[in-house]
Amino acid sequence: MVRQDDERTLLQIRDLQTHFATADGLVKAVDGVSFSIRNGATLGVVGESGCGKSVTALSVMRLIERPGRIVGGTITFGGKNLIDIPDDEMREIRGNQISMIFQEPMTSLNPVYTCGNQIAEAVSIHGGMSGGEARKRAIEMLSQVGIPDPARRAEEYPHQLSGGMRQRVMIAMALSTNPELLIADEPTTALDVTIQAQILELMKALRERNRMSIMLITHDLGVIAEMADDVVVMYAGKVVEQSDVNTVYEHPHHPYTRGLLASIPRLGEKRNRLEVIKGVVPNPLNLPAGCLFQRRCPSAMPICNVAPPFQEVAPGHLSRCWLTPAGDPPSVGEAPSEQVALDAAAALSAE
Amino acid sequence: MARSEGLPVPGAPLARPATEIDEVDLVPVRTYWQLVRRRFLQHRMAAIALVLMVVLIVSSIAFPLIGGDAWFKTSLTHGPKDPSSLTAPLGYDNLGINIFFRLMRGLQTSLTIGFFAVLIIAGLGTTIGSIAGYVGGWVDNVLMRVVDIVLSLPTFFLVLMFVAFMGSGNVFVIIFAIGLTGWTTAARLVRAEFLRLRESDFVQAAKALGASDRRIVIRHMIPSALAPVVVASTLGIADSVVTEAALSFLGFGLRPPEASLGNMLTNAQDYFYRQPLWIWYPGITLILLVLAASFLGDGLRDALDPRQRIEA
Repeated sequence: MVRQDDERTLLQIRDLQTHFATADGLVKAVDGVSFSIRNGATLGVVGESGCGKSVTALSVMRLIERPGRIVGGTITFGGKNLIDIPDDEMREIRGNQISMIFQEPMTSLNPVYTCGNQIAEAVSIHGGMSGGEARKRAIEMLSQVGIPDPARRAEEYPHQLSGGMRQRVMIAMALSTNPELLIADEPTTALDVTIQAQILELMKALRERNRMSIMLITHDLGVIAEMADDVVVMYAGKVVEQSDVNTVYEHPHHPYTRGLLASIPRLGEKRNRLEVIKGVVPNPLNLPAGCLFQRRCPSAMPICNVAPPFQEVAPGHLSRCWLTPAGDPPSVGEAPSEQVALDAAAALSAE
Repeated sequence: MARSEGLPVPGAPLARPATEIDEVDLVPVRTYWQLVRRRFLQHRMAAIALVLMVVLIVSSIAFPLIGGDAWFKTSLTHGPKDPSSLTAPLGYDNLGINIFFRLMRGLQTSLTIGFFAVLIIAGLGTTIGSIAGYVGGWVDNVLMRVVDIVLSLPTFFLVLMFVAFMGSGNVFVIIFAIGLTGWTTAARLVRAEFLRLRESDFVQAAKALGASDRRIVIRHMIPSALAPVVVASTLGIADSVVTEAALSFLGFGLRPPEASLGNMLTNAQDYFYRQPLWIWYPGITLILLVLAASFLGDGLRDALDPRQRIEA
């Protein structure tokens, strides 16, 4: 599934590190993230707020602002490492080969210009089209994203459109240059449920039509199930589980993923309380040693004080957990060394 | 609740038939500028000020054209004792100059100085403010400290010195002197707007589209940051006009035979007891001009603020 160096790989991120030097200390928002996106496939990136999903996306676009900085790793796209190329070259890729849509359609459009004007701008930045051609393209894009009467809508200002309509305009803008990769950062979070479904349908249809890949960032597992081919689960700046969508839903390995899936309410199920993952996300300024999830983990063991490796538990299914592929605690022999495990146990009991 | 968008039907084309009625059609559609106009006109004083401003501007252009050289031509046959007539509604001064035409010429001078000084203020302020706000970091720090220094200087004396050294009596020197000392407020306003806009989603979205810094600043940020500058500039007209009058009154501004509201006041000073009305003419004109500019500024501030929603 997520094989490395596959020639059908569009984007490959390896050991990405994006840190923020805040006044309180260094925040490792993204700490060694690796994954790849296949041609024409949708990769879902899931995780709770602050786990580094958006920072990963912005790192790919190289839109990290001070005090943030990409301090390590590679992002390979089209044979180039996006971290190393000059700003001008990156700008050429942005919006042209990699487009991005944001969470807030209400504020992501410039209130001063008409919708048609803004799509035309997106086209003319890269396409080198004349004003008239760009306008035509804008109207064509509006009709492609299912906006009725596109010629008239093109003349309207963002405040005259509903949220769903605005998100469609954003998608039209992002896709007007026929990008190879669309990064969608929580594209449906700000929309109500029926509109959400429409936008997801639209994105699916446009993915087929334009044969592009999508990196879909969300905390909504329902959206992932609907859209994604592959899934990356992030926790506190690290990838904790990675596989194809069916494996993640049917045989989740990492306790965090299992917790996430267990906390989805199910239709027709009688229950007074929803399942929750106990505790809170660790303070990014003061991360625990070893496994970052151990304090909330129902299967925490002494060995969890040692950072677990990101290892394959089944072909194409990676998990950052000490549990055996079957989900059992590892025998001591599997630990890096008995001394380490004993130290870990001592540290845990001292706490 | 009106259904805003049809549910997608599997296999159906993405675009809905154009015949379907949309809820947006039911709401009267107004553009930003229509809303601005509506809000401005609801501000009664601002509407009056606008009319007054238009009257002042039109007469400052029209009457000097009609009067020709009447604004400086002395006459031996006319004097302060002449009754007011149709050709000289405000009579003649001590040199036999037609006061009305001189007043209109003075108004023209004051308005010219006001507008051009404000143009410099707005241009300089927007440029410096947008650089400081967009680039940030040490550039922002340096520019804002310069602003602090300029602000800490007593502006009027600075203008006075500048004019005294560069040549008093020259309109351009006066315009530059006022412009070069007055840009700080505009710069601060633009910088503040830029700091806010830099974090805004649509600027982020423009970056994600691959827009260059220049395009982002000029196309996406300045138009949104301009409203406070327009307001400050309108208010700045009043300031500049008063500064010019003060300069001329002190003898550093325009000198006769050039006419300005300030030097007419100076001249009237000598005849305060015999011809008390002479001080009222330029005085009241100046007050009207300043009031018109101030209320216009107030009205624009309310009208351009998109957060204010006046229900019609």
